[in-house]
Amino acid sequence: MKRFSTSSEVDFIVIGSGAAGGIMAKQLSVAGFSVLVLEQGNWGKYGREHEYNKDEWLQRNLSDEDRLMSDPTQQRNTFRPNDKVKAVSGTHSYGCVVGGGTVTYGGSSWRHLPYEFQELSHDPTIPSGTAMADWPVTYEELEPYYTQAEWEIGISGLRVNSPFLAPMSKDYPVPPVPLKSSGALFNTAAAKLGLTVVPGPLAIITQPYMGRAACVNCGICSGYGCQVRARSSSAVTVLPIAEKTGRCEIRVKSYVREISVDNSGRVTGVIYFDAQKREIRQKAKSVILSANASESARLLLMSKSARFPEGLANSSGMVGKHVMFGNVVNVGALFEHPLNEYKGVISGAGIVDYVHSDPKRGFYGGGRMTARGYLTPFELGLEGLSPEAPRWGAGYKKALREEANHRMTITSFVTQLPLETNRIDLDPEVKDSWGLPAMRITSTAHADDKKNMEFFRQKSIEILQAAGAKKIWAPPVNEARGGAHNRGTCRMGNDPKTSVVDKYHRAHDVPNLFIVDGSNLVTGGRNHPTLTIQALAFRAAENIVRAAKNGTLRTSA
Amino acid sequence: MSTKGKSRRALLIESVTGLSAAWVATNYPGILAAQKHVRLAAKAGQLPHLAFFTNAQAAEIEAMAAQIIPTDETPGAREAHCLYFIDRALSTFARASQPLYTQGLQDLQAKTQQIYPEGGKFSTLDSERQIKVLIEIEKTPFFRTVRTHTVLGFFARPVHGGNYEKIGWKLIGYDDSLNHKPPFGYYDAQPQPPARA
Repeated sequence: MKRFSTSSEVDFIVIGSGAAGGIMAKQLSVAGFSVLVLEQGNWGKYGREHEYNKDEWLQRNLSDEDRLMSDPTQQRNTFRPNDKVKAVSGTHSYGCVVGGGTVTYGGSSWRHLPYEFQELSHDPTIPSGTAMADWPVTYEELEPYYTQAEWEIGISGLRVNSPFLAPMSKDYPVPPVPLKSSGALFNTAAAKLGLTVVPGPLAIITQPYMGRAACVNCGICSGYGCQVRARSSSAVTVLPIAEKTGRCEIRVKSYVREISVDNSGRVTGVIYFDAQKREIRQKAKSVILSANASESARLLLMSKSARFPEGLANSSGMVGKHVMFGNVVNVGALFEHPLNEYKGVISGAGIVDYVHSDPKRGFYGGGRMTARGYLTPFELGLEGLSPEAPRWGAGYKKALREEANHRMTITSFVTQLPLETNRIDLDPEVKDSWGLPAMRITSTAHADDKKNMEFFRQKSIEILQAAGAKKIWAPPVNEARGGAHNRGTCRMGNDPKTSVVDKYHRAHDVPNLFIVDGSNLVTGGRNHPTLTIQALAFRAAENIVRAAKNGTLRTSA
Repeated sequence: MSTKGKSRRALLIESVTGLSAAWVATNYPGILAAQKHVRLAAKAGQLPHLAFFTNAQAAEIEAMAAQIIPTDETPGAREAHCLYFIDRALSTFARASQPLYTQGLQDLQAKTQQIYPEGGKFSTLDSERQIKVLIEIEKTPFFRTVRTHTVLGFFARPVHGGNYEKIGWKLIGYDDSLNHKPPFGYYDAQPQPPARA
């Protein structure tokens, strides 16, 4: 692998190696530029994925060397529902390894619907007082990059023409995952209720593809590294290609604390802590920030200078604002016969009829319902039984025997209204393990989001009843306080006063800084942001390469 | 300890567990003990000896575990050797829980004496009385931890000392092979209605 000296100036530093960072590294290095990827996590089992173990006990006790996710006791964060209360210790965590969250994610790869890019203009039901805005990009502009992402990353699925799905110009490269019993029960319910079931598009390949093996349905899936490399993570797709160019270095355990600028306001490089927490400076002609919506915002806010006293690229004051987390609704049920949901991928079929907002419901909101039920033996034994089941003793053992494999869960992924008051900023007191200000999350869902979640809770009950459930439990809805699917903190837009980056991801304030990750999403879609992040990254890279080659971005290539 | 020797042993363990050498270096004594105990025990057809508990403490913990997942027509926590999983856990990953166990065992004895002054030890009570004592303490961090560790020991891979002969997995019908083929369950094996979309 290429090694750059810290005294040399690379064309691009890419901060983060996940869904977006991996693509940026590949596209820019293949185009001929020198690229240094700074990843705060370690290698994981990069290049020797067969060593990923499927051992639940070891997985719960990973050493710092083997971690795949950030550790909230080190990458410390705090949470508060609003500005009036003091933030308390938080549990926010994200993928923290070469490949980022894509190494362990469930792999759902839904496209946004065309109107979701201009939803404010198209939907009269959106309540006033939110920060809902149109994207500066249309679905038609992004469609070729969705296709590119699906084919370069490797997404399985079935192209279906439906008003509930985005139109596609090309089929998926490989067929969808096999039907599971939870999907079959969706079919039963859908036939009775007149609903539409589609196989979920997944970043898990079902046939050999681009030198990788097909999924073997091992069942220890989401949360674990994939032994057979069937999960299309950045670590097994784009990053190896970037490395093979001989122009890309992936430098692990590199925790960036500042993006540095000169007096003219141009980025000159970064300062990061290496594995021994020594401060290292690295020069670059341009910086691509792909650290995820929560960390990208925090890094910009930490990168204060005389020229940017409120944080880098933050003349609008919008950095960190409009954060959206992944609100979901879970409803569980037991069925007479075994489903054996522990086999295969975490999420197969989806019911898509409620993606649109409907004024008749009396609130704004929509979402997708996914058929699940996956529980590992630990998950089943510790917390996985129905709510009334005893937690120990003869009754507990009886419930284990009776409920195991008979369980299905509907998990609905729903809209979230962006609000200016929901945001990421720097905690004024708490520090992380590097002595930097901890991330502070301030978030409370809009009233319509809660009504929407309740709507999906009720719909889930109806569907499970129609599917013939023996027992259903639907706990009260609960909004997310962090975790995966964070979006929206550096939104893209045409107006530098109300957005952080332009429609090509260039920071309005800084000509050689690009922010490319979930932070750019203006609206949350119906949750499930990864494929949209990937499509945006392919599009951003194409425009950055063009700018570099036509001389509007200084590089040495 | 020579670097060479350590690396050879590390490699051996890596081949058994799929753990990285770096991880092994950090956790070496514990994991070696765990693996060795299990292997030796399997070889000798005997139960492994204890690394953390005294025999007297072990009897109390095993009695608790056997109430958490009792033996009925199928084996329970006792037959699954959950005790040995817990003992190994307390010597390795769950070292931080050692004081909780030491204090908890004293509290268990005190509670037992309080309810059944003539009863002796918790482990020597009859099952009905044991359950009464445990109901009294089931909200305590000690009981919750023993419950968690018993469940983990029942369902962890047998290499960690519990789930002996996959007793836990058999109870829940869990097939641990890493290669499954559809149909996976009853419902996806049935004829499906035609798709509407």
